[in-house]
Amino acid sequence: MKNQRQHIRKRLLASVFVLIGVTIVVFALIRLGNGDPAAMMAGDLATPEEIEDYRIRMGLDKPLIVQYFTYMAGLFKGDLGYSYVYSMPVRDVLAKRMPQTLMLSLTGFAWSTVFSIVFGIVAGTHQGSGVDFAAMFFAVLGQAMSTVWLGFLLILIFGVKLHLLPIQGFGGIEHLIMPGLCCGFGQAASQTRLMRSSMVDVIHEDYITATRARGISRKVTNMKYALRNAMLPIVTNIGFAFGKLFAGSIVVENIFNWPGMGNLMVQAINSRDYQLVQSILLISSVMLVFGNLLADLLYTVVDPRISLN
Amino acid sequence: MKLSTVLRRMRKSKLFMIGFTLLVIIFLVCGTSHFWVAWDAEQAVLRSRLAPPDWFANGLKGHPLGCDALGRDILTRLLEGGWVSLKITVLVTVISMIMGAFVGLVCGYYGGRVDMLVMRCCDILQAIPQLMLAICVVAVMGTSMFNLFFTLSVTGWIGTARLVRATVLGMKNKEFISASRVLGATGKRVLWKELFPNTLTPLLISASGHFGGTILLETSLSYLGMGVPVPTPSWGNLISDGRDYITSAPWVVIAPGIALMITILAFNFMGDGIRDVFDPKNTN
Repeated sequence: MKNQRQHIRKRLLASVFVLIGVTIVVFALIRLGNGDPAAMMAGDLATPEEIEDYRIRMGLDKPLIVQYFTYMAGLFKGDLGYSYVYSMPVRDVLAKRMPQTLMLSLTGFAWSTVFSIVFGIVAGTHQGSGVDFAAMFFAVLGQAMSTVWLGFLLILIFGVKLHLLPIQGFGGIEHLIMPGLCCGFGQAASQTRLMRSSMVDVIHEDYITATRARGISRKVTNMKYALRNAMLPIVTNIGFAFGKLFAGSIVVENIFNWPGMGNLMVQAINSRDYQLVQSILLISSVMLVFGNLLADLLYTVVDPRISLN
Repeated sequence: MKLSTVLRRMRKSKLFMIGFTLLVIIFLVCGTSHFWVAWDAEQAVLRSRLAPPDWFANGLKGHPLGCDALGRDILTRLLEGGWVSLKITVLVTVISMIMGAFVGLVCGYYGGRVDMLVMRCCDILQAIPQLMLAICVVAVMGTSMFNLFFTLSVTGWIGTARLVRATVLGMKNKEFISASRVLGATGKRVLWKELFPNTLTPLLISASGHFGGTILLETSLSYLGMGVPVPTPSWGNLISDGRDYITSAPWVVIAPGIALMITILAFNFMGDGIRDVFDPKNTN
């Protein structure tokens, strides 16, 4: 227990350092680009004096190191900066977009997790059956599909041909179905495969044969004895998937014109809205680091055999 | 493992053979297409705008997959775009593997402060989602073919470096390394003659898994307008070209998606096959 607490503390500290590193990388990367945000804000007809005026107002006239520390100081106070394109604090811009992205990515995360676990278990316990074949077919094909193409295909089938679902935008639950499906598809495919192969491996272990030999029914053996071990690789995989939630939504949001952060990120990059891009990247990184941390910790919790030394 | 054993196992592995054969066909067809296709891949022909495939009732003769919004033959663009996408994928994978192998070997073998520093940098780069990092790099550098190579390679080597480093760490205290050192081998010699050949198997497995991911990333980047610059065709560009015509001309988007899927399937099959071939539990 003490070991565990120490391990968690160590990992948390490492994560904080990684995130500070991320702020430096992102800050430097964005400013390497050509294109002057002050000139962009001032417009095409601006005089050099006006551009200079914008530069001072946006704090871009100061040395980079000062800009960075100003940014970091704000960050620790919860201030993410100011978006000059939207003329409001970045926090307010994000507050408007974040719920939609969360809704979308959580939908994808939820269905892919439940679906892949159930499908994987059934396939793994019925090796060689029709269900098994279907699961493998889905897994293999799903991993080979481009999200962009899948999105277009869904739009074509359910939106254009069958007129069942709206093809873009944000609204009721029917607007969520296609983007949500698209968001979780790749994850569902790879995780189904993982769950199935993990189940197949465990079922062929000696202890399962021994359990069956004692006359315990197949169902109980599978659900009570096999599943617990078969779930181990899945648990960590779920942690990683959680971390990638936001990153995956960027393309899907563009396809379905979903008013979320992914869509915002592409716009912000094109309009050189530095502070906004920085914040979106940082939030995605926080998610990713947190997901990896979660995966790591869950692994030691669900599998007591793993020692932390 | 002896080369003859590897080749025999490869021949015996159905997955590997299916993937490999498919890839040979795809590479041959796409690679030579420039010499025998009937149309120009980039020249707009407004007369045949969005013409349906010629086996449709109202199709245009000579265009088996129809034409895109600028009247260019889709089959031609598919084949030539395929070559562009394949070149990018293979080159990026090779560069990533070389970078990853080099960093992994050096860090794993020498350890110390440099290893610490490089690995912490890897931690940081890996904490930024790859697609987002790639978008930022392209946004900063501008869209061009070279920048795409650069971006995909720079964001793609980290996993390999970690893998190679872990392999080296597991091996560097084994007897054969000590023996080599006792016989007077220099650090460089141990690194390149003893350790490096032993990392080739994990490297090969890692590479085979890398192709699919790279080609999908290229598609996503091209879709966001940050991939291969137009009018050069690539599978990513072809798919995103179909965006505005899903309703009126679905054939624009369907063909490249299928081509992409078959190619990734072939790469994945070959990858799974390679994994089986090098699996120590394999007794064939």
